[in-house]
Amino acid sequence: MDLHTEMLLEEYREAIPVFERMQEEVLATLRDALQRNGLIVTAIESRIKTEESLAGKLALKGGKYASLNDITDILGARIVTFYTDDVDRIAAMAEQLFEIDWENSVDKRMLHELDSFGYNSLHYICKMPGYDYRFELQLRTTLQHAWASINHDIGYKSGVEIPREYMRRINRMAGLLEMADDEFSRIRTEITDYRRRVQHLVQNGKLDDVQLDGDTFNSYLQVRPFDSLNKRIAAINQAEIQEVPLIRYLRVFKALGCNTLGDIERLKKQYQEDAYRLARHQLGNTDLDIISSAVGAQNICIVCILATGGGKLGLVRLFDALNGHNTQNEAIAEMTYEQAKNLQL
Amino acid sequence: MKTEIVKNGDQLIAKFAGRLDTPAAVQTTEDVKPLLEAQNKEIILDCTELEYISSSGLRIFLSIRKEAAAHGSKVIVRNINDDIRQVFMMTGFISLFEIQ
Repeated sequence: MDLHTEMLLEEYREAIPVFERMQEEVLATLRDALQRNGLIVTAIESRIKTEESLAGKLALKGGKYASLNDITDILGARIVTFYTDDVDRIAAMAEQLFEIDWENSVDKRMLHELDSFGYNSLHYICKMPGYDYRFELQLRTTLQHAWASINHDIGYKSGVEIPREYMRRINRMAGLLEMADDEFSRIRTEITDYRRRVQHLVQNGKLDDVQLDGDTFNSYLQVRPFDSLNKRIAAINQAEIQEVPLIRYLRVFKALGCNTLGDIERLKKQYQEDAYRLARHQLGNTDLDIISSAVGAQNICIVCILATGGGKLGLVRLFDALNGHNTQNEAIAEMTYEQAKNLQL
Repeated sequence: MKTEIVKNGDQLIAKFAGRLDTPAAVQTTEDVKPLLEAQNKEIILDCTELEYISSSGLRIFLSIRKEAAAHGSKVIVRNINDDIRQVFMMTGFISLFEIQ
């Protein structure tokens, strides 16, 4: 080991506490910014280069570095995203958070020729305010990360030069994953557009145009379709309404033959008066002054099942769908059936 | 109204006996406080000897469920009689709790 390398390693040992502080601050800054921007990522990682690894680097190209300040990857941070679009969004975010050393930063995604594929990541060399040393920030998607990890593993384990044929196959996989990344991004964009369209249709009451599924039912629930029935039921005993999730009713409405949100609206209109009568019959001679926001939907389903000849078995199936299969559901169905019989639903 | 809390491994079993009505709710709220702080437990609300539950009692059960969810615990309501089952049913809370 020459004197210059020894001097750089000594400087490195003394600077370790500084890099550790910088590492903590960089991670905290990134996490905070991601949260503020509503960006969900697969992983945020970081590492400080080990002395062994630095010595290896210096052995190869030590003469290139006059001081530790010239080595830009002693602290490395990496953000792994779900989507390619997010790499660009986080890059823009990093440009606001850190001073970017543009001369040494590189977008590996842009380095490939039109007919070549391989390592794809965005590498920014950054400076954290208050620190003299720079650090490297790598941004890549989960699929790019998977390719880079496997590529590294294969290269590392083999210990010999990989024949051209295998290299071609590995790089071909990078092309395949690039296509998959683009497709995932497109799918996300299209789903976001679809949700916006559904919300627009729901808000404009064009519910027959909206097929019933998890997404559309959630949008429908956001316009609080059972509120007016719940409020009428609450008024029976001046009860407070406790909000509970209604997503389990998706399965029930589907089982009742609803294919569109318009079908649910028709079902609601047809049965809400009887649903209210059932609630009045049940709650009217009690002093219960708390109800759940599920009570309206629950009673609509009960009266629909009974009106269409579903009987006790239909009610058992309803409670199985809502509560999971449970022997208690038979007792609940039996009790509900007897009460509803008095009302001649 | 009596409330007894028994630990059984990762389970906390609250045994209720009597009528959980408005006058009893104040003491019961105090009695169930250990349940509200339980982390990653299975909380069993054993209603074998519970004769009646009012709105105040329901509110206690709801607060136990809310705190349990926040602390990674799970709530199971066990052995309710027909009257209490009816209360859960007509208020629409029957599908909020796991009832055994």
